[in-house]
Amino acid sequence: MHELQIATNIISIVEEEIRKAGKTEDIDFVYFVAGKMRAIIPESLQFSFDVMKRDKPFLTDAELKISEIPIKIRCKNCKAEHTLDEPVFRCETCSSPEIEIISGDELYIDSIEFSDT
Amino acid sequence: MKIQIVRDVLEANDQLAGDIRNVAKKEGFTLMNIMSSPGSGKTTLLERLIPALTKKEIRTAVIEGDITTTADAERIVRMNIPVAQINTEAFGGDCHLGAEVILPALHQFDLSSLDLIFIENVGNLVCPAEFDTGANVNVVVISTTEGEDKPLKYPLMFRVCQVAVINKIDLLPHLDFDIQILEENIRKINPMMEIVSCSAQTGAGFDELTKLVIAKR
Repeated sequence: MHELQIATNIISIVEEEIRKAGKTEDIDFVYFVAGKMRAIIPESLQFSFDVMKRDKPFLTDAELKISEIPIKIRCKNCKAEHTLDEPVFRCETCSSPEIEIISGDELYIDSIEFSDT
Repeated sequence: MKIQIVRDVLEANDQLAGDIRNVAKKEGFTLMNIMSSPGSGKTTLLERLIPALTKKEIRTAVIEGDITTTADAERIVRMNIPVAQINTEAFGGDCHLGAEVILPALHQFDLSSLDLIFIENVGNLVCPAEFDTGANVNVVVISTTEGEDKPLKYPLMFRVCQVAVINKIDLLPHLDFDIQILEENIRKINPMMEIVSCSAQTGAGFDELTKLVIAKR
């Protein structure tokens, strides 16, 4: 359900950026990055975005492109890095619980692409 | 033409959450966010925990985030402590409490006279984990009538919390539930988690829980 709020935030940030850039062209693509940790369901975010964009000038034809980033951890003890395939937050090399998450909790708009016409 | 933006979509919320932590620091109170699935016993837990804290001269208040009813708030008000009710929608609305509703709720209190403010978040293990409330301590309550695999299904919730309370242990004799497996699953997600088992119904485990809450303050 948080996808709806996130879609709303994406749209308001993009609208703000359009104003800042002084653009009057339509937007073709919004590139969005979501770390696996954030439990975003892409289909659900896509759906929310498509509903919310309908009455927005410059955004009615915009497509949301979502890239998902895997969860990577670094062990504070042995410095080994691992990509997590299942939710076990422990170093696979030395089993230390002292780990830091180096990627996977992203939730940001990377860029927007305008149509050239 | 492509324009680079790189802006976090939760930046507005995260900024307000930072403001809330500054208020807490300035006024000298701790904000503790209690999250769980619906029906794990958050309100009953507070009903038992708050009198125990009052006895230790800790001055508490509660921000109630129950979605549609004032039923939970009424139970808390009976304990003679300040309560701020956040009612989102009459027919079910928001799935979480964002920092934007916590900040005005805090200002309903005389903050300088409080030591510990609880947030009773909306019953949900997904969205509340995503939105920083500005709390200093995040607590997840999980009851023995839920599955042992809950932590594996909702890893973000168990990552953002520092304390896990296993509630309804009085029901263990009647359930096919292995508390050891639950604890192992919690530690898979968050090896640093502090875990307490209790029953808000009988009061078992509350000495330990009260001590832990005081230590986290």
